[in-house]
Amino acid sequence: MQYTTDVRLIRLMCTGRVDPTMVAEAFIEGADGIMVVGCHFGDCHYISGNYQARVKMGLASRALGYVGLNAARVAFKQCSSAEGDRFVSHVTTFHDSICEIGPLGSAEKLPLPKLKDRVDTARAALASEKLRWVEGKFTEFQNNGNKYGEKFTEHEMWRTLDTIVIDEIATHGILKEMRKGAASVIELAERLEIAPPAALKYVLALQRRGLVGLAGVDGATPSYRLVERPAKAA
Amino acid sequence: MRKKARYVNEDLCTGCGSCAEKCPTPAVDTFNTGIGQRKAIYKYFAQGIPSVFTIDAPSCRQLGQGKKCGVCAKTCQAKAIDFEQKDRMVEIEAGAIVMATGYDVFDPSVIPEYGYGRIKNVVTALEFERLLSASGPTAGHLDRPSELTLEKEIEETGKEVRKLSARIKQLEEKQGKTSDEVISQVKAGASDEPLVEWAKQAESLAEMQAALAAMNRKMAAATTAKKLAFIQCVGSRDFRFNRYCSSYCCMHSVKEAMIANEHDREVHSSIFCMDLRAVGRGFEEYKLRGGQQANIEYIRGRVAEITEDEAKNPVVWFESTTERHVKSEVFDMVVLAAACVPSAGTARLAQLAGVELDTNGFVKTDPLMPLATTRPGIFVCGCAQGPMDIPESVAQASSAAACAAEAVIGAQITLKATA
Amino acid sequence: MAEQIRIGVFVCNCGSNIAGYLDVKALAEYAKILPHVVFVRENLYTCSENGINEIKAAIKEQGLNRVVVASCTPRTHEPLFRGTCAEAGLNPYLFEMVNIRDQCSWVHMQEKEKGTTKAKDLIRMGVAKAALLKPQEPIQSEMDPRALVIGGGIAGMTAAMALGNRGYEVTLIEKSGELGGLLLKLDKLAPSGADAVAVARKQADLVRRHPNIHLLLSTHIDEVNGYIGHFQVSASTNGSKTQFGTGVIVVATGARVFRPAGLYGYDGEKVITQLELEEVFKSGAFAAKNVVMIQCVGARNDERKYCSRICCMVAIKNAIEIKEKSPETGVKVLYRDIQAYGTENEALLQRAKELGVIFIKYDPARPPRVEAGKVIVHHDLLGREIELPQDLVVLSTPLVAGEDNEAISKLLRVSLDANKFFLEGHVKLKPLDFATDGIYLCGNAHYPATVREAVSQALGAASRASIPLSKGVMSVEPIVSTLVDEDACRGCGLCVALCPYGALEIVRGEKGRKVRVIPVACKGCGICAATCYHHALSVNSYSDAQIGEQIRAFLEESA
Ligand SMILES: Cc1cc2nc3c(=O)[nH]c(=O)nc-3n(C[C@H](O)[C@H](O)[C@H](O)COP(=O)(O)OP(=O)(O)OC[C@H]3O[C@@H](n4cnc5c(N)ncnc54)[C@H](O)[C@@H]3O)c2cc1C
Ligand SMILES: Cc1cc2nc3c(=O)[nH]c(=O)nc-3n(C[C@H](O)[C@H](O)[C@H](O)COP(=O)(O)OP(=O)(O)OC[C@H]3O[C@@H](n4cnc5c(N)ncnc54)[C@H](O)[C@@H]3O)c2cc1C
Ligand code: SF4
Ligand code: SF4
Repeated sequence: MQYTTDVRLIRLMCTGRVDPTMVAEAFIEGADGIMVVGCHFGDCHYISGNYQARVKMGLASRALGYVGLNAARVAFKQCSSAEGDRFVSHVTTFHDSICEIGPLGSAEKLPLPKLKDRVDTARAALASEKLRWVEGKFTEFQNNGNKYGEKFTEHEMWRTLDTIVIDEIATHGILKEMRKGAASVIELAERLEIAPPAALKYVLALQRRGLVGLAGVDGATPSYRLVERPAKAA
Repeated sequence: MRKKARYVNEDLCTGCGSCAEKCPTPAVDTFNTGIGQRKAIYKYFAQGIPSVFTIDAPSCRQLGQGKKCGVCAKTCQAKAIDFEQKDRMVEIEAGAIVMATGYDVFDPSVIPEYGYGRIKNVVTALEFERLLSASGPTAGHLDRPSELTLEKEIEETGKEVRKLSARIKQLEEKQGKTSDEVISQVKAGASDEPLVEWAKQAESLAEMQAALAAMNRKMAAATTAKKLAFIQCVGSRDFRFNRYCSSYCCMHSVKEAMIANEHDREVHSSIFCMDLRAVGRGFEEYKLRGGQQANIEYIRGRVAEITEDEAKNPVVWFESTTERHVKSEVFDMVVLAAACVPSAGTARLAQLAGVELDTNGFVKTDPLMPLATTRPGIFVCGCAQGPMDIPESVAQASSAAACAAEAVIGAQITLKATA
Repeated sequence: MAEQIRIGVFVCNCGSNIAGYLDVKALAEYAKILPHVVFVRENLYTCSENGINEIKAAIKEQGLNRVVVASCTPRTHEPLFRGTCAEAGLNPYLFEMVNIRDQCSWVHMQEKEKGTTKAKDLIRMGVAKAALLKPQEPIQSEMDPRALVIGGGIAGMTAAMALGNRGYEVTLIEKSGELGGLLLKLDKLAPSGADAVAVARKQADLVRRHPNIHLLLSTHIDEVNGYIGHFQVSASTNGSKTQFGTGVIVVATGARVFRPAGLYGYDGEKVITQLELEEVFKSGAFAAKNVVMIQCVGARNDERKYCSRICCMVAIKNAIEIKEKSPETGVKVLYRDIQAYGTENEALLQRAKELGVIFIKYDPARPPRVEAGKVIVHHDLLGREIELPQDLVVLSTPLVAGEDNEAISKLLRVSLDANKFFLEGHVKLKPLDFATDGIYLCGNAHYPATVREAVSQALGAASRASIPLSKGVMSVEPIVSTLVDEDACRGCGLCVALCPYGALEIVRGEKGRKVRVIPVACKGCGICAATCYHHALSVNSYSDAQIGEQIRAFLEESA
């Protein structure tokens, strides 16, 4: 039972402990791949941790995929403590696939700082409240339904999550751009590589939440800026 | 109680396993139902508690065969090996006793029509369980026992071939003749003793090489088992052997068929049963899922006989109660759901403990006092009481503990009162 | 004043298990240059007495305030090393273990150089985490040594008796006016042949007279708060309220028999359930000449997928009863699978066959039809439909979850399965415990069971419940969730919803709604910490900062 020396292990009590933002942070620190390995479904020592982890890692992989990271750099695998061989095969397969993808940035065809900046946007998106609720309730909605008794399929759940991920990434991207200074919707759309109507939608939503305000009007084009927020009330 | 010598000091052994790595003596791996091999110094199974090694004295060179060895003692840096250890008699006083001596698997070789023991690819569910196990002898691949035997034969024949050909090569070099020349000389009438011997050896080498090639061809053509038959109620619900139902075997067959299919999506399983007893939480659902997603087919009917075809495939003959005629079908492997029978020492232990057994040989209990044996203060749980699955055994274990605690506390109170 | 961090690193050879495949000398040298490391020692076996003494000496002489051991697996050796630290006066949670055997030397046996590099990284990561470790104190909490049993059927009564006999004060709450549950409605019990009502009454008598059991009949539970060792219960008996505390709770609320309204012409007179048949037996009014029983009525179908476990046995029992009462009466049982599992049930099945009860298998795709005076069923062996005469049809209907299960599951914060039966914490390891500590289950509340099984589960649940009760004080490993940033918590309750152990609650305090951790109930899985988007919660010894530091340490030098 031998495997590659390229992996480093971090021991946790349960895969349920892995916050998806930790995964994003590891890429910002320079990791080439992250694999989370836990017990089989039904065997979780902590009852539901691995169900949580499956969704969290799936989400991390998708969100990072949207910002341009190769989504296969994130994996969630299962084996029991008696299945050394299975563990080795997971590690080996994952290692092979990471070798094929290549070091961080190479497959993504992006300079590292730019990639990491985008991963950082994904990290912020992964911390959003809405995502956390849907992700947390994923298994329950699938098995028992929401409070109205409506059950959702795996596909429907992911579709919902995907929409939120896309919205959150765009929103955080806009906020980040605005931190650099006021900008028009067209400029934002260009910088974030999204359609101007979509950018407008996000900017208006931010404006409604009081996070963004009108900075001025340049000819016919309004430009927006971040609203100064009073220091967090203690 | 006799505490058997393990020839390893339990306090010193760190469970590292260096000894077993270096031990030169192979032995049959009883944990893996004899399918694989282990060393003479061993741990019954990897996750066993305590994590301490044991010498299997009869297999050991030094202890069992009177030869000089002691490799393990030299290897062990913790100095835990103790060849001088002896069996010890231990006496303890107890206020209550819990019997949890479990079950044995019924030996299906007493049912001649199923061919167990005679037909290699007919195995018991317990043996199959080891084949399926990722930590088992085949690392979870469904290599058939016939191929495992073939593999062993190939290895042995290969060794013989290498030995013999080395010897002949030596002769050829020494004498400056080829074996073919010698053979034709002998054929032509040469009766020189060493020459005749040489020719004989050369001929048997050629034979062996041909046999080896044939075996290798067969091995190359062999695939893992894809088509499985599970035969239920083997030795259970059968008036000749045990009248009772063994409770858990229907579910373990479904489980094994599911796992086999998880391992290899091409595996198809036919489960031959009278009733499929799926009576626990989620069992019926599990059984249905097996049918829908794991290529499992449930066939009603008693199997009449199992035979073997030339390719060592078992052939199952059965009367289908839904189709009403006798049919036969060829499988890669047949798994017998062998009954749960009282463990070997039960009768003797019951005698020692002074408790009664029921007509089936399990420890007798009252349906309304399910843990109590016929003797006050002695309780029984798990399969010692009758066939049951793990959840029930575990639940019963807690119950027996409650009964024992109550008995002991009662005794303490009386003791205090009389003191 | 921030204390200065002084880390000691011990590198174990594990005989040749590590030293044979990694360059341990180099590892020890490397450890010396890591931040905060002031002392390094290489041992043949760090776990041997020698090694242990060296750790203790170094803590004292070198003033170490963090210890890192690079050796084997924490699964087997962490408790030992933690204990060592404690003996030398160092808080045991200032210890970190790095596994360079199972995770390194054993899996890289042919790559000494690369393996050694990896081991260096692992040690660096461990040291980085160690620097951030915080001392922890074991969590202790007083146990209220009383027990509550909910449900006064055979299971609940048995559990209450067992706990009472052990000397614990027990409150038994039954919602109806009488103890006994389902048994009160039954005739005889298989396989013992005992009179069900007599069995129930006998046990009820013992319960009533037991000095340690406080019985509350016609009582409804209104509210349960708290956690293991400290539950607060409010209940009302005919409108009058009571409140009391308890340390543990056993759920034994049983199940109901499914009423097959609209199935097979069920009318409660000529087409009845097994339960109703038992009542007919009891009243002595049984007079049918041809009985047909149909199994799995309302069970094992799309709506109710499960097999109810006991109804086959009940049908067999009642078929025998009929044959014994009136041998000339014809009894036919139409079944899908006869679930006569085990020794006793199979013996009953054989007895029924001997008495002339006829068993006919039917295919759910072609279910039997009940018509006036007859039942028509497709007979597989004959390959055609047959007509069975009848003047009484008995339907075997499954047990379904109790009507209060959902309410109770909310009150106690315990789970139900898809069929609304109570769900144990783990099928095999904890069959009688809920995932939430201090709450146990038994009998039909868990899943349909025979009396034998229900009694045995009840004794087991009592046994499980007596474990914390007997301790007086609960002590738990402090690797649990903690609210590290109270201001960040907005009291949204997502973590509370996801905690599998009911170890979190939202409380209203000075700063508004905030989460509160119930440390004795927490197992430290960290789902909450991984979910809180404000990072208000963290897990001791596995905090975001500690894990983050491990990741950073891994990547800082790996080039
Ligand atoms: C092939 C197969 C697959 C199975 N799969 C499953 C499954 O998936 N799920 C499930 O729930 N159940 C399964 N079971 C059933 C399960 O094995 C039993 O329910 C369980 O092992 C019963 O536990 P036990 O402790 O009562 O008995 P055992 O496991 O038999 O343990 C008894 C112990 O007592 C020891 N002992 C015996 N006699 C003495 C003596 N005289 N002195 C001292 N010690 C003694 C034995 O060495 C043994 O260690 C399966 C069974 C088989 C055969
Ligand atoms: C027709 C039939 C025949 C049977 N025959 C046999 C047989 O021959 N042999 C055999 O071994 N088994 C038999 N059984 C099974 C047997 O009835 C059960 O094993 C047994 O009743 C289980 O007991 P229990 O205490 O778990 O549940 P129950 O008997 O259902 O008792 C539960 C109790 O909890 C109370 N309760 C419910 N909710 C609450 C609440 N919220 N608060 C307070 N109290 C509450 C109920 O009022 C009830 O008193 C039969 C079952 C049926 C339906
Ligand atoms: S459990 Fe199934 S296979 Fe085992 S004896 Fe009973 S009916 Fe037969
Ligand atoms: S026990 Fe028998 S009647 Fe009841 S659901 Fe199961 S198979 Fe059907």
